[in-house]
Amino acid sequence: MLEPAARRAAIVEYEHVSKSYATARAGRGAPGAVNDLSLTVPAGKICVLVGPSGCGKTTSLKMVNRLIEPTSGRILIDGADIAGRDATELRREIGYVIQQVGLFPHQTIGANVAVVPRLLGWPAARQRERAEELLALVGLDPALYRDRYPAQLSGGERQRVGVARALAADPPLMLMDEPFGAVDPIVRERLQNEFLRLQAELAKTILFVTHDIDEAIKMGDLVAVMQVGGHLEQFAPPAEILAAPASEFVADFVGADRGLKRLSLTRVSEIALQPVVTAHVGDPAGDARARTLADPFPYLLLLDGSDRPIGWVSQGHIPAAGSLGASLATPMSPLLDRRTTLKDALSMMLDADVQTGIVVDRTGRLRGVLTVEAIAAALRPSADPEVIASGASAGATSAAGMSAAGTSAASPPGAGS
Amino acid sequence: MIDWSWLAGHLDAIAYRTLQHVYLAVLGVAIGFAISFVLALAAARYRVLYPPISALSGILFTIPSLALFAALISLTGFSVVTAEVPLVLYTLVILVRNIVAGLDAVPVDVVEAADGMGHSRRQRLWRVELPLALPLIVAGLRLATVSTIGLVTITGTISDAYGGLGYFILDGYHRGNFLTEMYAGAVPSIVLALAADLLFVRLQRRITPWTRVRATEAAS
Repeated sequence: MLEPAARRAAIVEYEHVSKSYATARAGRGAPGAVNDLSLTVPAGKICVLVGPSGCGKTTSLKMVNRLIEPTSGRILIDGADIAGRDATELRREIGYVIQQVGLFPHQTIGANVAVVPRLLGWPAARQRERAEELLALVGLDPALYRDRYPAQLSGGERQRVGVARALAADPPLMLMDEPFGAVDPIVRERLQNEFLRLQAELAKTILFVTHDIDEAIKMGDLVAVMQVGGHLEQFAPPAEILAAPASEFVADFVGADRGLKRLSLTRVSEIALQPVVTAHVGDPAGDARARTLADPFPYLLLLDGSDRPIGWVSQGHIPAAGSLGASLATPMSPLLDRRTTLKDALSMMLDADVQTGIVVDRTGRLRGVLTVEAIAAALRPSADPEVIASGASAGATSAAGMSAAGTSAASPPGAGS
Repeated sequence: MIDWSWLAGHLDAIAYRTLQHVYLAVLGVAIGFAISFVLALAAARYRVLYPPISALSGILFTIPSLALFAALISLTGFSVVTAEVPLVLYTLVILVRNIVAGLDAVPVDVVEAADGMGHSRRQRLWRVELPLALPLIVAGLRLATVSTIGLVTITGTISDAYGGLGYFILDGYHRGNFLTEMYAGAVPSIVLALAADLLFVRLQRRITPWTRVRATEAAS
């Protein structure tokens, strides 16, 4: 796919950027003003600008590729003020994805993907090659899609072509304006996951606009919450936005269920699992019974010869003598992967009407158990430092490493949960 | 009723007048398109220009053609200019409106994407907006051409040197409704108009293949 040498990511800095509009232009659908925005997007991170309509998030985005010029302040890309750049040249170095995709209806998919390479004057053969490479990258078979027209594609397919087109010249920076807003929720979820997987590999710097706080939390390494009038309310990793909203506005905006949202940011692997009394099929029952009785948890977890859980045995049902048979085990708690989010884990446990989930590794071996109490403990504000610390140790380079997307980016690509 | 011997004796003249008819019509549409294109691009870029351009071309369209010929003869004499000026002016109202409408019909998201990816204004116009305006532009050309082919017949009122196939119609009339000659002008001019219409339909299909595709089986 992409040569490692070609991979690079830009740093974007807003320095006291404001954009005001004459009052005549205010109103519904009018671009939102921006008020003294200062923030730095580190290289290779996804920074989500989120807020209600009219908060200036799209205005902020479009000032980076100069579709909108700021009233005051500066925007720097890799330290250079973009005001000094030729706008069309600048735009060719920045990937741009918009909600309505904006594919050219009169050009084939192959030509659409190669738009920027063509503007840059690449030889025709290289344009074609690159278009095919990118179609494959976004999961569209080049042989099947290359010669079609946009009207022949579904909304989800068009949006993938939009992403491929934005990546065509391997830009160090991508601007994405509600890129998954026009497709249905199921397709959106799939596109989000695919994009996170892609980003884990590409490590572009991405500015991403959405009005959907759930999408912001899911996609962002860093989230900038903006308020109507173009005020930046909080700029922090998603876990911090949820755990410690900087203002009442942010708390309201992330919603009353922000505690639950935090569950989707933490994975089973990030919290300490509890040990449990176990025994293997064929082990002496007496010993297992004694150990179970000595433990506050009144169940024994029966394992097969490869340490794979078979099921629970209530302490009252463990025979005093003989050996343990597989038939003793009763229906099992849900099996949780270490990459499962706490939200999904809790949901599975509620569905199964149990208080305890069994966590296994990839080969199905027991790793420990997860209790509802442990999940509740992880949500307590006082428990946060530990949760965050376990995430941060994986991505010690920056604060962004602690976010949901950061951890998912660290997981092996292709291993979707 | 039809004087076949007259027709047989005038095949050369009919061929000559047919070619002249085509020449006058094509010249009128070509010049009209060139002027309309410039006016439409100006109107599309500077919106304030559109109402006056549109109004002016509309007013020109309402001037009776015979009156215009008469007025022009005093200025430009019995020249080809006198024949062409009305033909050209009457195409403007159709062509300017269709080109502007075609440019206006380009979806805003496509324009935004074109800008966002780094097209210069000129590149956006030639690579994106004009191709997407083609269906309406060609529709305008089709209408303008067919109506111009009709109008060419009355340029014969300027002098016998013009008129294309219309010459036969006028000449037949002056000879006391000599129907054979009038048909010799009328029938080929109708055929020309139909042929032009068909040609543009074909051209349209040929150069805008994307308008014919249908959304097929599409699994996100």
